[in-house]
Amino acid sequence: MNDFRTPPTLATHALSMGYGTRRVIDGLEVTLPSAKVTAIVGPNGCGKSTLLAGLARLHKPDEGSVLLNGEDIQRLPSRQLATQLALLPQEAIAPEGLTVTELIRFGRQPHQGWLRQWSAEDQGVVQHALLAAGLEDLADRPIDALSGGQRQRAWIAMTIAQQTPLLLLDEPTSALDLGHQIEVFELVRHLAGHGRTVVMVLHDLASACRYADHLIAMCDGKIVDQGAPANVVTPELVRKLYQVDCTLLSDPATGSPLLANVRRATEPA
Amino acid sequence: MTPRWLKAEFKKQGATAVVARTPGMGMAHYEKEPVEPPAGYWRWGEHRGDGYSILLEQRAVWVNSGLAVVLLLACIAYLSLGTITLDPRDVVQALAGQGDMMTGFMVQELRLPRLVAACLTGGAFALAGILMQTLARNRLATPGIIGIDNGATAFAVASVVGMSVSLAPSAMALTGAATAAVITFGLAAGSGTQGYRFIVAGIGVGAIFGAITQLMLARVAIDTANAAYPWTVGSLNARSGGSVQLLGIGLALGFVAALVLARSLTVLRFSDATASGLGINTTVRRIQILLLSVALTALAVAVAGPVGMVGLIGPEIARALSTPRHVPVVAATLAGALVMVLADLAGRTLLSPIELPVGIVTAIIGGPWLLWILMRPQRSHA
Repeated sequence: MNDFRTPPTLATHALSMGYGTRRVIDGLEVTLPSAKVTAIVGPNGCGKSTLLAGLARLHKPDEGSVLLNGEDIQRLPSRQLATQLALLPQEAIAPEGLTVTELIRFGRQPHQGWLRQWSAEDQGVVQHALLAAGLEDLADRPIDALSGGQRQRAWIAMTIAQQTPLLLLDEPTSALDLGHQIEVFELVRHLAGHGRTVVMVLHDLASACRYADHLIAMCDGKIVDQGAPANVVTPELVRKLYQVDCTLLSDPATGSPLLANVRRATEPA
Repeated sequence: MTPRWLKAEFKKQGATAVVARTPGMGMAHYEKEPVEPPAGYWRWGEHRGDGYSILLEQRAVWVNSGLAVVLLLACIAYLSLGTITLDPRDVVQALAGQGDMMTGFMVQELRLPRLVAACLTGGAFALAGILMQTLARNRLATPGIIGIDNGATAFAVASVVGMSVSLAPSAMALTGAATAAVITFGLAAGSGTQGYRFIVAGIGVGAIFGAITQLMLARVAIDTANAAYPWTVGSLNARSGGSVQLLGIGLALGFVAALVLARSLTVLRFSDATASGLGINTTVRRIQILLLSVALTALAVAVAGPVGMVGLIGPEIARALSTPRHVPVVAATLAGALVMVLADLAGRTLLSPIELPVGIVTAIIGGPWLLWILMRPQRSHA
């Protein structure tokens, strides 16, 4: 696994984004902690996926900017950005019939060119990505024949092969059952443990508390609170985000916040 | 002042160097390993290290060579068969400029120019087809189906009936193809090039231009209409010399451009988000692919009229023969040329002395083919 000695910084400055005339994100200032797992949480339509699209330059800001190492990402060439920042979109679909290794090889795309199609480095990195994602036994299996969790790990392996210090994941576990979710989250923790900065949009607050170092809670296009899950997550925050009441416990094994006795809020937030 | 591209280059070097210096799994570690090509490829390049390296997919090499050989045989058959049947050996001799005068005239003056037109139009239609299909991520989205062929035809016919001479058909076809493309993409605006709205808009635009063509033919003198008719169904009989040369140049340039774009095309099969995450400038690439596809279609229509089915059949043959690792642009071009040569050969010989326009032959093959595409079950790899 790569250890990135000088971790990159990703931040937004007065970022406003929207679709047509509708503002989804308004004047957002955020700095993503390096070599940590950050989870962006919030209710549907709060702008969390839009923020991720902005960070990955999929969606152009109306105002403000996204800064990678202090430089506006709109000004970076596509290929250069792809060597710094990898993205796994929601429900990614591969061309029919590709095998796991073939998919992972696409991660080398930004490092390759017409006269540099397969180097020693490519070979080593692809092999390493297979191992890191625990896919060595499935290397030649078609993507279509994998389970949901294996498929998601194959996609993450592709982003590992991209060898970027930054990794953005859009709801990487949304269509997975509990066992497969854990597979993916443990891989994400493993990557952060080796110096990658991971940012993921999550639907599920409980997994965010368990697996993220840093939580960004969003509501109506604004950041409500951010910080370590244990400091940020309070019954008030949960009510504000999701209009539910809950009792907060502490996970006896990890100390991360646990939501219990969740019910519809009795009084408006 | 340092130029911007150089600054970007410095930064790129810097960025790579950060990765290279990383402990644990630095590049130095990889460089000691001899490089094996991925399974199914030949690799040509330095054995160690990160200098130049070129990969050739074995399957693609076999498929392309096979198609080239079959195309060559089809070409010899094309030159031999017809109202007068020639011995293939005499044909080869005639091509070399030897043998008797009569055979030489038949081959070089009568059949060869038409064969060249068949190869070029077939290749151009199929290449334009696979480009558009990849752009739209839809096997039905060929220029023929989304109305670009008909737009080009309507404008070209307008020049024939309007001025009773075919005035620069290539230029008119280009204008028409561009117009149809702009309308189709305009109507589908907002929904992007994916999904049925784009296809349906294209079918509508094609129908309107088809109707305009028919209307123009109905309003002019019967002789003019007769002269323009074969073109409107697709025929290699009505070609003008200049347009074939333009197509030749266009296809040569377009083919090279498609090869340059091939790596991006392969990645564009994923979603736009994935492709741009992998460093593809999707907006720029999509515009390039669209322009290339529209231009190739227009140049081919100027020669042969709307033989759009080749744009569907050629890529389909190429994909059936190839692996899913790449977008088979070379195989599609060869297969398109092959289909066009065989279809025109069939059109010339099957009902001889009556000649069937090549557009009708490809429609007869293409119709059932289209149904098969729509109805065949998805391949399963489980």
